Parts: sequence; C-alpha cells; structure tokens
Amino acid sequence: MGSILIVAEIQKGAIRDASYELVSFAHKIAGGREIKSLVLGSGVAGQAEALAKRGGGEVLVADSEALANYNVDGYAKAIRAAVDATSAELILMSNTPTGWDIAPRIAAGLDCGFVSDCFNIEEEDGKLVYYRRVFNGKLDARLIPKADQILATVQPGATTPFEESSDGSTTALDVTIGDDDLRAKFVESRTAGAKGVDLTKADIIIAGGRGLGAAEKFEEVIKPLAEILGGAMGASRPVVDAGWLDHAYQVGSSGQVVSPKLYIAAGISGAIQHLVGMKSANFIVAINKDPDAPIFEVAHVGVAGDLFEIVPALTAAIQEAKG
Amino acid sequence: MKILVCLKQVPHQDARLDVNADGTWITEDNIKFEINNYDTYALEEALRTKDAGEAEVVVVSIGPDRVTQALRTALGMGADRAVHVKDPEMDGSDVLGIAKALAAVAKEEAPDLILMGMMGDDGNFAAVGPMLAELHGVPHATAVVKCEKKNGGYEVERELEGGALQVYQLPTPCLLGVQTGINQVRYASLKGIMAAKKKPFAVKTAADLGLAGQVGAAGAKMSIEKVYVPPKGEGAEMIEGSAADVAQALVGKIRELGLL
Repeated sequence: MGSILIVAEIQKGAIRDASYELVSFAHKIAGGREIKSLVLGSGVAGQAEALAKRGGGEVLVADSEALANYNVDGYAKAIRAAVDATSAELILMSNTPTGWDIAPRIAAGLDCGFVSDCFNIEEEDGKLVYYRRVFNGKLDARLIPKADQILATVQPGATTPFEESSDGSTTALDVTIGDDDLRAKFVESRTAGAKGVDLTKADIIIAGGRGLGAAEKFEEVIKPLAEILGGAMGASRPVVDAGWLDHAYQVGSSGQVVSPKLYIAAGISGAIQHLVGMKSANFIVAINKDPDAPIFEVAHVGVAGDLFEIVPALTAAIQEAKG
Repeated sequence: MKILVCLKQVPHQDARLDVNADGTWITEDNIKFEINNYDTYALEEALRTKDAGEAEVVVVSIGPDRVTQALRTALGMGADRAVHVKDPEMDGSDVLGIAKALAAVAKEEAPDLILMGMMGDDGNFAAVGPMLAELHGVPHATAVVKCEKKNGGYEVERELEGGALQVYQLPTPCLLGVQTGINQVRYASLKGIMAAKKKPFAVKTAADLGLAGQVGAAGAKMSIEKVYVPPKGEGAEMIEGSAADVAQALVGKIRELGLL
C-alpha cells in the first residue's frame, strides 16, 4: 500500500491549522496506509519537529534558502521528490493560495487523479470518496477516483485540526533546490490598499452584493441603513470587481474576515469565499430574492424578497423605533 | 506576439440549476449559457495588450455546438481567431483531460502568453490553468490581480488571503490564471460583432489533436458520480409578509440583540 503524504504549510512561523486539518483527515481515512508529511521552506526544522509530534508521522524536510518564499518551480521540485520518496498514493494539500496554485500542476506532472477544495473525504466500501461544492456553493458533488494515485486539496476549516501528540520523526528530503531552478522570481510582498475601513472592529455591518445592481444603489440603499444603525458598510467580491466600491469594503477570504454582533447581507448569494468572511458573525440576517441562495444556510434570519423594498422599509422602521 | 486565451462556456450565472435525470450534472435544457466570468477578465486582459501594440489574440474553447456562440462573442469583442475543439469524445473529461486537449492546441499555436480565468463558475476546480502550464512546460501564476509587461517578461501580483499580495517576475512564454476584477471587461460593439463573422474559425476533433484515449470519460482519473442539492441544515428562520411586517420583525430581532 502506498502512503498518504501531507504537504504542510507554514504561516506566521508555525504549521498552520489547515495543515493539522489534513492530519485529521489522514488519520480518519488512513486504513493501514502510513502517514507521512512534507515541510518545506527555509529554516523550518522547528516546525517539522512540531508536526512530527502532532500526527505528521514521518516528516520529510526540504530546507533551502531557495524555498524562503513560495515559488512554483521550487515547491514543485520538493513535492515531487517527496512523492517519489514516500511512494505516496494519496497526496493531501490545503486549498490555500499555495494549494490552488501548485497542486493542479503537481497532479498534471504525476498524471494522477485530482480533486480540489473537498469539504469531506470518506472511506466507503474500501474506497475513498471525495465531496466538494460546485456552482459556487449551490450544489454538492460526490467524486470517485479512477486512478491509483490521487492528489486532493481540502478546504481550510473543513474539519478540526489534529490535537493529539504522537511519535513521529523528521528526515531531510534528498533534494537540491537552488535559485537556478526557479523560472519565476519573487519580487516582494504587498497589501491591497485597504485604507481606513477596518470592518473587523465594526459591531454592525450592512453588506451589499451583486443584487444591488449599481454603484449608486449602495449610497441610496445600503448606506442609510448602515448610518441609522451606526454600523459599517461592506460588500461581496463582485461589487468590488465591478468597481462599485473599493477593495477596502470587501468581506470574504480575499478581503476582511469579520465577526460582528450583527451582519445584514442584502443581495448576496453566499458563495463560499464570502461565507468564509462572515459566517462566524454573532447574528446574520440575509435578504435575497432567491430562496435557494446558499446564504440562507448560514443566516439566522432570512427574507426571500426584494431588497429594494425590504431594506428601505427596515431603515424607516428603525428610524421610527428610535423616535 | 501571440496570446492564447482559453475560454469555457458555462451556464449563465443567474440560470436556474436543476439536477439532471441520472443525477450526474445539471440539465442543460432551457438555460442560457455565457462565457465563464473569470475567463472574460482574461480575454479583456489579452485585448488590452492587443490595443496597446502588436498582438494576435487567439481564443480556444472545448464543447458542443453551443460553444460556437461563446467563441463568436469573443471574436466580436476583438479576438482575431477562434479554435473550437468539438468532439463527443471529450464528453466526461476530467480537468486533466481538458488540460491535455488545451495543451495540444497550445503546442500547435506556440503562444507567448496563455491567459485564462483561474476557475470555472460551474465546476470551481481551479485546476486547468496550472495543469496546462505543466503539460505545456511553461511557468505560471494564478489568482493574478495585476499583470504588467516588464523586463522582457511579466510582473504579476498574485492574491493571497486577507488582502495580501505577492509580486513575481515571470519570463515568457508563461501562463497566467486571472482573478476577477483585474480589469473592467468591454462589451462587443455592433461593428465588432459584424466583423467577427469573417474571422478565421477552426474546428478540431480529438483525433486532429492526437488525443486518442487520453480524454473523455474513458481517460478520466476522477469522476463526478453525482451532484445534488445540499441537504439543508436548520438554515435561517424565514420571515414572511409585507415589507412593513418584515421590517417590524427585524426591528424586534435587532432590539433583542441590544443594538437598538
């Protein structure tokens, strides 16, 4: 039996939670396969030790200055070497910016089966079955492999991080990676210019989505409600893409992740990337004309109706309640 | 220079989706199709490069007859030439099969730059771009939110979580998987749509591209066994009634939260 290889990621100097979630999945579905891990980067011996002591099994370490920043060619070389060294039949990565960038490339190079952004993996009748969402969260899909080697990426937050301590080991991976291997060159890190709008500190957020239809509608419909409640205005990604509001207002995985006391979502369907940004809000109200919109799964209270009637009516009712 | 833009035709983003009879996908009857939203941004990026200087923009798409419309739209927007991979043998391809077909087209075209959206709005796999880059043997970057011709190649910004970005310099030829919002997508002008009718339009089969046995359901290494409406959890407490009734009910909830 081939092994399960977990490709771990380091964030802010530590193995990130999403990687320990892969460890949880690996332990759930191991079925007798050995669990092995790969830690890559520069100066990562400590992180590799931590993973070895927390379910990572035999941890291979690719430690090179050329891996100090994420780089497609460097990471691909290290991961391929690890797959070969471990005879991996299942390779697990997280669907993070690194995962969605490199995992498909690795899979194509291996000519193996590939599935991304799984929210679950189950063993059913001796085979592994993969579950993920399609159509931006409107439908679920069940996938079955038709190959002996599979690379799967898993949605961060799909399960809980592995917590048990264990006896693992760390071994240097036999691979040399130098700057000459890297066709793309890392230039620098930057932040998208989020100036002055810190939604993470707002107690109340009124967010608008594509359903608003135009930039002016934010001024006309969303802003009055935000103001009367003393809250902040937010937006889903399509609003920012369309140029109706600045990126600073974006709530979601590539914007701000918020957990206010009250989150009102108007005209937002609830694609995964948006839900990641607001589903831990204390109380969520969703207004959308589509009763099947995925947002209603995370909302506490929902209104399947026309936001252009509901939101102004709510603004007026609050105005009156305040007297 | 030559830019190859890979487009996918997908159900319109507001189309009502019904699971088909055998539960394997959605039914295509009676729904409108459009170019995948992410791919429109890739096409726009290519057309801007063309506007700025000498560039031939070739668009390619895989699928049945209906895909012709998507390619004609792209030609109407300003692309120079279209390649339609049309063959029932492609049915049931997994993402790797799709990438192999596109790699065969890329090999024939030898573009300086390949652009495509980072994912499809239907499958959301976000896989074909990096796979194609590997098969075609070129460097790539995905989630690209900015791309600038610089130092003989491209300087790109790729999007990370929480508003963070990383900047890379890539040589050409390369492949870029583009994120939404990288630009503002143009509409096809009437003049453009009329001109599109005369633009070269090639149709290729799997055999033309040497893909025997590698594509379609037969070649797939991962198979979608079924799609289904997600089981509804408790979900939201739905409030009904007139706008005024709903507003009153919500005011009550907001009061209970101590926020009024």
